[in-house]
Amino acid sequence: MFFHNFKYALKKLIRNRMLLFWTFAFPIILGTFFSMAFSDIENSEKLHVIDIAIVENDVFENNLLYKETFLALGDKNSDEQLFSIQYVDLAQAEELLSKDEIVGYLFLDKTPQIVIGANGINETIFKYVVEQIGQMEDVFQASLENKLRDSKDLTSLDSWYVELYQQTMEYFNKEQAMIQDISSTHLNYTMIEYYTLIAMTCLYGGILGMNVINQCLANMSSNGKRTSISPSSKWKLIFSSALAGYIVQVFGLLLLFLYTIFVLQVDYGSHFFLVVLLSLIGSFAGLSLGVFIASLFPSNENTKFGIIISVTMLGCFFSGMMGITMKYVVDQSFPLVNYLNPANMITDGLYALYYYNTLDRFCFNLVSLFLFSFVLILISIFSLRRQKYDSI
Amino acid sequence: MIVFRTFLKILKSCKAPIILYTVLLVFFAGFNMESNDSTSNFTAEKPDLLIVNHDESFGFTQHLIDYLEENTNVVTTLDNEDQINDALFYRNLNYVIYIPEHFREDFLNHKNPQIQVKSTGDYMGSLTEMMLSQYLRLADIYNTIFEDEDEMLEHLSKSLSNKTKVEVTSKLDTNQLSRIATYYNFLNYCILAGCVYVVCLILFSFKKDTIRKRTIVSSMNYKSYNRQLLFSNSLFVFVLWLFYVLLSFLLFGTSMVTLHGMFYILNSLVFSICALAIAFLIGNLIYNREVINGIVNVIALGSSFLCGAFVPIDFLPDFVLKIAHVLPSYWYIQTNESVKLIEEFDFLHLKPVYFNWLMLLIFFLLIIMITNVISNRMRKKEN
Repeated sequence: MFFHNFKYALKKLIRNRMLLFWTFAFPIILGTFFSMAFSDIENSEKLHVIDIAIVENDVFENNLLYKETFLALGDKNSDEQLFSIQYVDLAQAEELLSKDEIVGYLFLDKTPQIVIGANGINETIFKYVVEQIGQMEDVFQASLENKLRDSKDLTSLDSWYVELYQQTMEYFNKEQAMIQDISSTHLNYTMIEYYTLIAMTCLYGGILGMNVINQCLANMSSNGKRTSISPSSKWKLIFSSALAGYIVQVFGLLLLFLYTIFVLQVDYGSHFFLVVLLSLIGSFAGLSLGVFIASLFPSNENTKFGIIISVTMLGCFFSGMMGITMKYVVDQSFPLVNYLNPANMITDGLYALYYYNTLDRFCFNLVSLFLFSFVLILISIFSLRRQKYDSI
Repeated sequence: MIVFRTFLKILKSCKAPIILYTVLLVFFAGFNMESNDSTSNFTAEKPDLLIVNHDESFGFTQHLIDYLEENTNVVTTLDNEDQINDALFYRNLNYVIYIPEHFREDFLNHKNPQIQVKSTGDYMGSLTEMMLSQYLRLADIYNTIFEDEDEMLEHLSKSLSNKTKVEVTSKLDTNQLSRIATYYNFLNYCILAGCVYVVCLILFSFKKDTIRKRTIVSSMNYKSYNRQLLFSNSLFVFVLWLFYVLLSFLLFGTSMVTLHGMFYILNSLVFSICALAIAFLIGNLIYNREVINGIVNVIALGSSFLCGAFVPIDFLPDFVLKIAHVLPSYWYIQTNESVKLIEEFDFLHLKPVYFNWLMLLIFFLLIIMITNVISNRMRKKEN
């Protein structure tokens, strides 16, 4: 009886085009949107060449420090190019700024002055660079005063002056040796989007779970009425149907992995086996959610379907699907919400695998997900047992 | 009124998704509700920084900490390394500096102690690195010139206090306007999803074979029936739009009672009308209730991701933006982005806004034409 029902449950699921859309097609469509929208986001956040203008006047022409520094920072052939500089007169600089073609311009009078369109990160960097040149001037001045105070032989002052100038310039251009960067190489936060996609696919398995349980409930379908009065064991029917749902769901997940790995070129890292393990447990959690909603809510199939979609989408939203900052905000401000959110358990587990070297956090999420499924299944069992109907 | 009453009955059953979209919108808008600075003066961008100091807070070490505290937002709420790593990954923190033990002593003795750092590698991370490098370079030079620590720090402070005069030409409160633009950009998803879902559901309910046949044989004038249906749907879209506009007044207060605010509101109204047309087209196309949810999600999420409702438009690749030109959402979001930067509301500055509205109008007429052609063909087929 188990295999007989399993076979027909599987057939029914495969023939239901709507279910196949949600479990197979929708995650792939959404993954394509993610890939298109986020393909350039990391690059956009990196420091780019900033468009500025410098007002060419006598003061600027005679100030070697400013002139040479900006020449170096605006060198198109250098890897260290920070600015794309236009040397113009004041009227042209104002016009360029009003047309938003530059972030600001430098006007060198007695003191340096910069004019910017609005506040922003590029404008702040421009300001810091101008200040740094001012600080170089200070260093130069302090060195000179120090030399004059100590030196007894002033004849070599000219050659020393040139040497000091070169030294100061070199000092400011050389790599900072006192800083050691120990940043993680796994900082690609768009991965979170793909993790929420896996979470969504897992939880959409709930639709399959709900569908198969509805087929076994006498008050939900004519199929349920027929099977309820048959002499076959209710639990055999439910388990075989749920197993069919799980297998279809895992197949959907497999398609998603194949698509994201080979078409969208997503790199799931070196722990791929653990990624699959968490996804399988996640699918089980999705199925449990569907069984739970199907058995506990005494409403029609459309309402149950709406509840599963809403719970899944809200869960994915809290775990960062529509902006990863949301996951962090919820993690920090309302941790309980994300501790109970199955979408976050999957997303966070996959994030832990990607970002951390240890498996503690991954295991915590794996166990949480298993417990979540276990509790839902337990409640569903209590709700489903000994159901009797006087009339339907 | 019977059509309208039935409409209200069906509408009642659509409460849940509308509430869901609103919750998402409020959460999304709530992100950016931090204090707003006036921008007529220059305000330097301040990266979020964490200092982990293993040295004694004294002399040169304390000077470095003071400098960083002055120029960055120093975060103090993170307790352990996992929290620090999470904050870095989610860009809640831009930079972490680990000052080693005996840093001051080693530095003064020219032993070149190393400071370990963790960075996000983005704009803010680069800015912090620039600040720290400059500080250490200056300190290093002064340390070679002056033997006495106090004298060295005195010169270092003097150099670091060298501030450039900055003039800002824009008088706009760009922070607040950006927040409003973000809210109205996200509204693209809420309006599109809400309109398409509800209108499709209603049109489908009236298209059910038994109901349609009953309506045909009833004494009701066909024109009146159509008018009531059109009026009910338009009224729903208007109420939905009004609700979201009122919500924006609640969230942004008096900033909405400005010309900028008015243009955001008008733009969302123009888009809502276009969304109604899209909903009518889809409603006419579908003959299966189950596909409504799928279509709503694909259309609303698709245009939101591709046109810049979820991801800032500056971060989208060029080829995506080119594709987005064929979607009404693109022109709606472009208007929101343009309004944010308008300083003077004259024809010249408003030209891009009018052009975008013209595009939305063209989309509206095009969709209505397609809807008419399709419904005509379907009716002929049925006959």
